[in-house]
Amino acid sequence: MKKPLLFVTLILMIGLALPVIGMAQDSMQFPVNEFTLANGMTFLVVERHTSPVFSGFITVAVGSAYEKTGNIGSAHLLEHMMFKGSQTVGTTDYPAESALMVKEDSVWAKIDEARRQARYIKINHPENLDLHLKYIDSLKVVLDSLSAQSSRYVLQNEFDRIYTRNGAGEFNANTGYDRTQYYVSLPANRLELWFNMESDRMKYPAFREFFPERDVVSEERRGSVENSADSKMMEQLIGASFIAHPYRLFWEWQSEVLNLSRNDLADFFKTYYIPGRITVAVVGDVKTEEVKMLAEKYFGDMPGGPEPEPIYAVEPDQPGERRVEVVFESSPTVFIAYHMTAFDSPEQPAFQVINRLLADGRTSRLYKTLVLEKQICLDISAGYFPGAELGDNFPGIFTIYAYPKEGISTADVEKEIYAELNKLAAAPVDDKELTKIKNRIDAEFVWGFYSNLGLADKLAVAQNMAQDWHYLLKFRSNLKAVTANDIMSTAKKYFTKENRTVATLIPKQTGDAQ
Amino acid sequence: MKKLTLIFAALALLLNSTVNAVNPRDMKFPPLKFEPAEPVRFTTDNGMVVYFLENKELPVFTAGMLFKGGTAYDPADKSGLTELTARLLRTGGAGKRTPDQVDQDLDFVGANITSGATFDYLILDLRGLKKDVNLGLEILSDMMRRPGFDTAKIVMELSNKKDEILRQNDDPSQLTRRVFYQTVYAGHPYGQFPTMASIGNINREAILEQYRNYYNPDNCIMAISGDMTLDEVKSLVKKYFGDWPKGNRVIPLPPQAVMQYKPGVYYAEKDINQAQVRMGHLCMNDKNPDRYAMDILNFALGGGGFTSRLTGEVRTTAGLAYSVASYAVHRPDMGTFFAFCMTKAEAMGQATQMMLDIIKKVKDSGITQEEMDMAKESMMNGFVFNYVTPDQIVNAKAYHELSGFPPDQLKKDLESYKAVTLDDCRRVAAKYLDLQKMAIVITGNKALFDKPPDTFGPVTNFPMEIK
Repeated sequence: MKKPLLFVTLILMIGLALPVIGMAQDSMQFPVNEFTLANGMTFLVVERHTSPVFSGFITVAVGSAYEKTGNIGSAHLLEHMMFKGSQTVGTTDYPAESALMVKEDSVWAKIDEARRQARYIKINHPENLDLHLKYIDSLKVVLDSLSAQSSRYVLQNEFDRIYTRNGAGEFNANTGYDRTQYYVSLPANRLELWFNMESDRMKYPAFREFFPERDVVSEERRGSVENSADSKMMEQLIGASFIAHPYRLFWEWQSEVLNLSRNDLADFFKTYYIPGRITVAVVGDVKTEEVKMLAEKYFGDMPGGPEPEPIYAVEPDQPGERRVEVVFESSPTVFIAYHMTAFDSPEQPAFQVINRLLADGRTSRLYKTLVLEKQICLDISAGYFPGAELGDNFPGIFTIYAYPKEGISTADVEKEIYAELNKLAAAPVDDKELTKIKNRIDAEFVWGFYSNLGLADKLAVAQNMAQDWHYLLKFRSNLKAVTANDIMSTAKKYFTKENRTVATLIPKQTGDAQ
Repeated sequence: MKKLTLIFAALALLLNSTVNAVNPRDMKFPPLKFEPAEPVRFTTDNGMVVYFLENKELPVFTAGMLFKGGTAYDPADKSGLTELTARLLRTGGAGKRTPDQVDQDLDFVGANITSGATFDYLILDLRGLKKDVNLGLEILSDMMRRPGFDTAKIVMELSNKKDEILRQNDDPSQLTRRVFYQTVYAGHPYGQFPTMASIGNINREAILEQYRNYYNPDNCIMAISGDMTLDEVKSLVKKYFGDWPKGNRVIPLPPQAVMQYKPGVYYAEKDINQAQVRMGHLCMNDKNPDRYAMDILNFALGGGGFTSRLTGEVRTTAGLAYSVASYAVHRPDMGTFFAFCMTKAEAMGQATQMMLDIIKKVKDSGITQEEMDMAKESMMNGFVFNYVTPDQIVNAKAYHELSGFPPDQLKKDLESYKAVTLDDCRRVAAKYLDLQKMAIVITGNKALFDKPPDTFGPVTNFPMEIK
C-alpha cells in the first residue's frame, strides 16, 4: 500500500526573491522558505531551532462570508466536523458506518420534508395534524436508533486522542468571515504525524456524529452570543451596518444551523476546501527539505477543483445614521461603527494608525479623555470588524466600544467620542504622537515573532489574503508611511454621521411590565 | 504469477486511494529527547531571588516580579484592597513621574507594565524592546520603591471598582464563578469578594500599609529573560533594586479553609436562555502528594478535553454542551474540585444529572488503564511545552520557588505523574470526590428548566442584590 513516489507527479516552485522576514533594524532575521505543490497548495516554512517543537497552521480561504441562505452555518459546523476524524481515524469499519450515515441522511430528509408539510396539514386538514406530528416523532426515534447503531463503529474523538497522546499543545481551529484555520503545536519529532493527520482529514473527511454536533454548534451560539451582552450588541450593530454584504451576519442563526444536512456540508467542503485555497505555514524545529518531502507525500495527491464563485456583493454607501437598541439583563454600553476599507485599500493604513491613536494604550486619545480625564467611562476600546490583524478581504467597519460609568448616559459618552473623532479630522496629529504610534508598530512587529504559532498565523494569513506573504512586511512599512494629513483626510471622509451605526444596550429590569 | 497479481492489486489501490498509507493511529514515536534551557539563579544582598534566561533570538526582554500575598490577604473589612493596591502601583505614579508621565514614557516606546493579584500571589510583568530595558526597569523599580499613590487616582480607582461591582452580575460565567467561591469558601478569605461597603473602607493609608507589608525584596522573586547577558542583568538588578531595603515581614499562609456551607443547590436567577452549572467542593492543597493521582483522575474525568468522559458523553454523544469540563485546582491552602457546564435552559436537569452520574461512576470505580495511559502520555509528550518561550521558563521557576517547591519541580512532577497507579486513582477518587459535599451552583431562569433546581438538593437562593 505504500505509494512509490514515481506515481506522484509534483512540481516544486521555490520562491525566487531572497525570502527573509525581519529587518536589520530589528536585529532579527527569519528566512522564509516557500513552495507550491502542483495542485496549488502553498507552504511557508520557517526553521527555528530554539525549542524542539513546531507549530503547523493551515488556513483555508473560506469563512462565513461565503455562506448563502440555506447553508448558513456551514463554515462553522464544517470546522467542527473536521475534528471527527477521517475514513480511517475515528472508525472501526468505515463502509458499515458510512452505509448507516446514508440511512440517517435519508431519515433526516424525511423529517425535513414532513415538517414543511405540517404547515399545510395544519390549515387544510387539521384533523390529521396529530397523526402527522406523531409520524415526525417516530422518524426522530428512527434517526436516534440509526445514530446509536453507527456509534458502534465510532472510535469517539480519536482524532483528538491521537494528538493529545502525542503531547499536542495549542490545538484548535477557528472559523472567521474570510478564512477558516486549523492549528496545533507538537513535539518536533511528530512532524510526519501532523502531515498524516491533517492530510487525512482534508482528503478523506468523514462527518460522523453529525446530528449531536449540530446541537453543539447551536449551544455554542447560545453561550457565545445569546447570553453575552457584548456579542448581542455586536450582532445588532453588524446586522444594522450591512444590508448587502455577507459580513452582515455576525454568527449563524439557530434556525439555519439546526436545519443543515450532512450533504450541505459535503457540498461546501467540496467547493471550497481545494488546494488552491489552502495555505500552510510550519514554524519551528523542522527542516525545510523534510517539510517539502512530506508535503509532496501527503498533500500532493489532494485533488484540485474549479475556483468557486467569488463574492461580488458590494455594500452600498450608507445614506444616513442607523441606530439600534438591545434590551438585555446587563449594564448600559454603546457600540459605534463606521464603514471602512478592505485590506488592500490605500486608506487602510490610515485606519490602522487611527485605531492605535484612539485606543491603543493608556495614553491613547479615547482612553485618556473618557476614562482617565473626564472619567465618564469604565473602559473604552476600538477595533475593526471582521477584524483580522492584517485587514479584511472586503470593506468592514471601524468600531468603538464604550462602557459608561454608573449614572452617565450613553448619549453623553457618544458626544465625547464624536468630539474626539472630530479632532482627528480638524487638526493634524503632532509629531510626537505619530512617532509614538510608529514606535509601537515596531514593537508590535517584533513581538509578533515571539511564538511559533503567532508567526505561522501571520505568514499563512498574509499569503492567503494577499497571495504573497511579503504583505506582512508591506503592512508594516505602509503603516509607518502614514502622515498626519492621511489621518485627517481619512477621518474627515469616514467619520461622518451618515456613515455611522450606533447600538446601545438598555438594561432589562426583571419584572418590567413593558 | 502470484507476484504479478499483487502488483496489479497494488496499482488498483493506488488509483483509487481512499486512505493514507499509514493510519495515523499506528504511528509511533520515541520520546522526545531534549535538554530544557536552564535559567541562572542568583540572590541579591537584600534577599531578592532572581532568575534569568538569556535568549538572543529577538531584541526583547521580559521582567516579572512575583510576591506572596494575593486577594486572600485582604483585611476582612477591606475586600478589594489587594487588587486596588496592585492597580495603583501601576496607575498612581512612580518616583519622579506623575501617573501620566509613567503612561507616556512606557507607551512612547511600546513597553508595557501590568500589575495584578491572584488569590495567593501578586504579579508584575514588564516587557519591551531590549533598547528600552533601562527605562523599563527604572519605572518598575520606582513603582516598587517609590510608588506615587496619587490621591486623585485613588479616588478614580475606588470609583471604578464600585462600578465593576455594579456590573458583577452582568456576565453569567463570572456570576457563577463568584457564587461558587463565595459558597465553598464561606468564612474564608478565598470566598470574600469586594462589596460597596468594603471599598468604602479603603483609603490611602490602608493602601500604603498593604504596599509596605507585601511589596518587599525579601518577599519577591524576579524572573528576567531576553536579549541580555548575565553580567548586564546583574548590574541592572543591582542598579535598580540593590539598595531596596528588606521588609523583614513574615507572610503567614491564609487560615485553613474548612467546609462551612451546606451541600445542595445554590440558585442564581438570571433571565437568560442557557443554564450554567458549576458543581464541586473543597479538595486538597498544592503540597498534597495525592494531587498527582487527582490530576490524572481529573484528566480522564473532565480535564483532558475531548479525551475526557464529560466531553465525550455530555458534548460529543448527547450534544448538550459546547463547554463542559472539570477542574482540580490546587492552592497553597485548600483547593477545589469542580465540574462546569453550559447548556440550554431546557436541558439543565438532564445535563446536571449526567455530570453527577459521571462523577459518581469515577468515584465508585476509578478510571481505566487506557484513560490513565492517555493522561500520562499526554503529560510526558507534552512536557516540552513547559519550555518553549523564555518568559514562560523563568516565570515557572519563580512561581515554584515562591510557592515553596524545589527548583526542579517540573521534572519531579513528571516523575510523580509517571509513578501514579490505577490503584492510586481509585483510592484518590473514593477519598476526594464527594457527592455528599457538592455545592451545585445553577445560574439561569428556572421557569425554563426541564427539572426544578431542588431535584439536586435543598435550594438556597443566592442574593442577587448588589451591596
